[in-house]
Amino acid sequence: MTDTTAAAPLLELRGVTAAADEKTILHGIDLAVTAGETHVLMGPNGAGKSTMGHVIMGDPTYTVQSGSISFDGRDITELTPDKRSRAGLFLSFQAPVEIPGVPLSSFLRAEIAGRPGLEMKGKEFRRRVKELAGQLDMDTAYLNRELGVGFSGGEKKKVEMLQLLLLQPKLAILDETDSGLDVDALGVVSRGIDAYKKATDGTLVIITHNTRILEHLHVDRVHVMVAGRIVKEGGADLIPWIDEHGFESFEQVAGHGAAADPQAVAASQGE
Amino acid sequence: MGETKKLTNVNAMPAPTWSWLKMNAAEVEVPAGLAPARDAVSVEPAPGSENVVTGNVEAFDTEMVAASKRYAARSRAAAPGDAAERAKLAAGELDTMDVPALSAYQRGAVRAEEELSAAEAFLTGCGREAYAYLRGLSGKPSVIDVPGGVRAAVTVRVDGRPGAAAAASLDVVVRANATLDLTLALDGAADPDAVAGVVGFAARVFAARGARVNVASVQTADDAFLVIDDMGVFADEGARVEVSHTVLGAGRSYTGLAADLRGDASRIDVDTSYLGAREQLHDFNYQIRHLGKRTVSNMDANGVLTGTSSKILRGTIDLMHGAKGAEGAERETVLLANDGVENKTVPVILCDEDDVAGNHGATIGHVRPEQLFYLGSRGLSEAQAEALFVSAKLEDAALSAPDERIRASVVRLGEAIVPDFEEELA
Amino acid sequence: MAEKKRTEVADIDRSLYDFTYGEEGFERLDAGLTPDIVREISAKKDEPDWMLEFRLKSLDIYKRMHTPTWGPDISGLDMDNIVTYVKPNTDQKSDWESLPDDVKNTFERLGIPEAERSYLAGVGAQYDSELVYHNMQDTASKMGIVYSGIEEALHEPKWEAMIREKFMTLIPPTDHKFAALHGAVWSGGSFVYVPKGTKLDFPLQSYFRLNAKGAGQFEHTLIIVEDDADLHFIEGCSAPKYNVANLHAGAVELFVGKHAHLRYSTIENWSKNMYNLNTKRARVDEGGEVEWISGSFGSHVGYLYPMSILAGRKARCSFTGITFAGAGQNLDTGCKVVLGAPETSASVETKGISKSGGVQTFRSSIVATPAATGSRASVSCQSLMLDDQSRSDTIPSMDIRAKNVDVGHEATIGRIGDDKIFYLMSRGISEEEARTMIVNGFANPVSKELPLEYAVEMNNLIKLEMEGAIG
Repeated sequence: MTDTTAAAPLLELRGVTAAADEKTILHGIDLAVTAGETHVLMGPNGAGKSTMGHVIMGDPTYTVQSGSISFDGRDITELTPDKRSRAGLFLSFQAPVEIPGVPLSSFLRAEIAGRPGLEMKGKEFRRRVKELAGQLDMDTAYLNRELGVGFSGGEKKKVEMLQLLLLQPKLAILDETDSGLDVDALGVVSRGIDAYKKATDGTLVIITHNTRILEHLHVDRVHVMVAGRIVKEGGADLIPWIDEHGFESFEQVAGHGAAADPQAVAASQGE
Repeated sequence: MGETKKLTNVNAMPAPTWSWLKMNAAEVEVPAGLAPARDAVSVEPAPGSENVVTGNVEAFDTEMVAASKRYAARSRAAAPGDAAERAKLAAGELDTMDVPALSAYQRGAVRAEEELSAAEAFLTGCGREAYAYLRGLSGKPSVIDVPGGVRAAVTVRVDGRPGAAAAASLDVVVRANATLDLTLALDGAADPDAVAGVVGFAARVFAARGARVNVASVQTADDAFLVIDDMGVFADEGARVEVSHTVLGAGRSYTGLAADLRGDASRIDVDTSYLGAREQLHDFNYQIRHLGKRTVSNMDANGVLTGTSSKILRGTIDLMHGAKGAEGAERETVLLANDGVENKTVPVILCDEDDVAGNHGATIGHVRPEQLFYLGSRGLSEAQAEALFVSAKLEDAALSAPDERIRASVVRLGEAIVPDFEEELA
Repeated sequence: MAEKKRTEVADIDRSLYDFTYGEEGFERLDAGLTPDIVREISAKKDEPDWMLEFRLKSLDIYKRMHTPTWGPDISGLDMDNIVTYVKPNTDQKSDWESLPDDVKNTFERLGIPEAERSYLAGVGAQYDSELVYHNMQDTASKMGIVYSGIEEALHEPKWEAMIREKFMTLIPPTDHKFAALHGAVWSGGSFVYVPKGTKLDFPLQSYFRLNAKGAGQFEHTLIIVEDDADLHFIEGCSAPKYNVANLHAGAVELFVGKHAHLRYSTIENWSKNMYNLNTKRARVDEGGEVEWISGSFGSHVGYLYPMSILAGRKARCSFTGITFAGAGQNLDTGCKVVLGAPETSASVETKGISKSGGVQTFRSSIVATPAATGSRASVSCQSLMLDDQSRSDTIPSMDIRAKNVDVGHEATIGRIGDDKIFYLMSRGISEEEARTMIVNGFANPVSKELPLEYAVEMNNLIKLEMEGAIG
């Protein structure tokens, strides 16, 4: 178990088991993230890392079967995603959805509407967004385009980072499982992280299976997930170790030959 | 007070369906006692385009007669219920049971293919009665005649007033390889309790060989108005027509477009965007006839309905005999943002040719779950997400408004729905 | 030239079904439609008074209603020339051997007794206006399932009450002109009652044969599947070809209880002088499901749109259909769905093929009432044009009045790609075979839903239609 009880953690998962379509994907996840820290969640493909990000954000695709999630001192297990967002949680999407008919600028304005300290009037809002777009090297013409429609992978990523900087959440989960494959996206995310860290005393959970994104970043804690379970936790020194050895040994530790396949895990629940 | 007028068979779809659905056509009650308001109409050529609005009044009809001659010689092969089959039937060579019992529409299609000249077959989308009514209001049509190879731009405004009936009518000829950008602003400001008014537009458009015609119609009338926007297009070889209909206002609106793609490789793209609010009714009728080879049509409609508004969209792709290699596609996406809205959609494909491709699709519903989660993860509740789609529709229209006056009209409508719309938009 | 091929196809096509017998000893009422004829039909059936009243009222409605103007032309159908009642020279039997030779041979040739022996739980067979055969396996009777002629059931007080409560309530005579006609002159048809929780493993089948020239067939099928029960019902029909109009205006009313399931399969193969103006409708209660499998191959004119009324929460329906219109045919088919309760769902998948100057239209309506919150419907419709003399129209409509409803609609129309033909031919397959293969593949979503024997029959029908396809 992680021992971070010194200060009450900002985000805490206690024994979270979650399923999609009655298939259990996460098995009794315990996780504690203290304010201001940077955590990394690693693991092979199909381990359930993205699912965990979505479950923390309250994606109705998944059902939390047992356990609880608390954030900033309150239980958010039952909250809808918009309430979690307004409580200060953020999840960047690996594949942001396309919303035809909605210009990006309209969407951004709706996001900040009613948020104390963030709501801005016309001119101020536009200035702020332009400034952030500049930081991310993003063409402001995108602001008038329909959200996500016809955007490249790198452009979509910029839009996600722009929102991270605009909303300044207390905790951001960056689901970057695949962005390590895309050099452009990688640069965008790195720039976003730097700007976020500089602007706020923000807390980060970075989901990845590629360690390149973590270079130049101070990492406080690393969690390794295999087959829907956290099988190893440690400090930043785990990262170079994983770089060298991969996840195979964890998969063996997990005791399942084909553990990367959650189905196989589900099938062997008799233990 | 004048007498009430009732227009029937408005926006009728060519091949009707069950009458209990009440989708086949509209009946339009025109408010009584309206004063004609011809000064509410203006036809404004862009700088440099002044010469195109002084054309010969006969230009359109002359071109259609010439086109009728050119296309008269087109022979056609066998089709169910065609002349050859009817002759055999009369001669007793065929039994009635060997000939398909065509519906009224199907008989009409055979007739249009076999007997009617291009001029006789010419249609506008709202139908004859509505067209005649609008022409009656407008008086003599304005003529736009763009000489071969020239590019011109014209804006037509109809600025409706309560208690008045105002309509513009146009005969348009865009000659070979010329380009016309036609902007259409249908507007009318009135208090909610103002007396009713009518805003209308009627146009016949001839797009000659290789011509390009781009029509952007933006309708921003307040709810006191009845708006009828009616157009018919003839496309000659290689002509390309783009029409966008942005329908944001009016208590009742009727938008009709018929296109005759008779020239080979002619093409039409229609982009429809609408917002229904309060008790508004939006009624659309699109009828694209493919007669030429390798003709292409694309219809794309996107709308949001809120309040207790209702909407009907009839879209017909008619792949007629001889349209080898033609492709027609139609897609509609409707977001229903409130209980109490009524949405009717009839996407029709009629096909009398085998070497063609017809596709249509419709998606009707609420905000999709993955969109809702994404918007939720950024702090928007379901109600806020729906409100976003409504305001986005207006913002999008304002951002893409063809000119400042139209933009101002969009903002006027937006202010009624979205608080501080103008300031937010800036 | 293609012209010649056209008649050729028609000739080959019907041989399996196109045979006639005489009408010696048959009773044939006068042609036309009068109150006296209606009274005579009623008297022959010794039916309850309320039914005669119902018939006369329907006749009155029929006289007042207009013929539809939106569909295929039916001016060739002159009701004054249609004989509404023809009784074969036999009473209803429960073994084939007791039937007169003509009647028995007819059903033998159509393969019905053999089908009964090999995979059906019960069979009803109608010849012209009357059922001539009805039989069900003992095991099914012991489960409490009733499968009999509807007129026979009307003579039993218990069923009479139930029939009276339900008869023509889903399809009221006011629905359309031919529903009113049906109400006036209906004759024959089956009654099925499946008690609560009963599941029948083998299908029941009713077969309708119209032998008489210039006659109409107006059978009424009433099926009640109680809560949690399960039934598969198969309907078959055929007729020999004449050069005068025949009329089929049957009615099918299906009541599907809570969490019950009913599959209704039809292969319609009327002759090409038939006006098939048939009406089918199902009402589905909470959690229940109706599945329509429908193949339309025959008829000169067809109007056929099975309707599903989803009246209870989470009720479901699916419609899987194929329509093949060849020379001389105008087949207007499709379905209607009413999403009338929360969380209902509907799925429609249809295939249309037109060939040799045939006309086929897919017509549908999806209506979601304000009560339908949380419901969904998907419609997929594909049409295949086999030549440029034919016609295929697609006329779907949607009327959605509830917010949380998802309706998706997709339709495509086109022909067989030359590349596909080339590919198959490059592997040594003839062009005709290649086309038949592709058309059979196109029809596969429908045939795979049919019991094997019927899938084989359908594939044979397609093969027959495809012969002479290369002009």
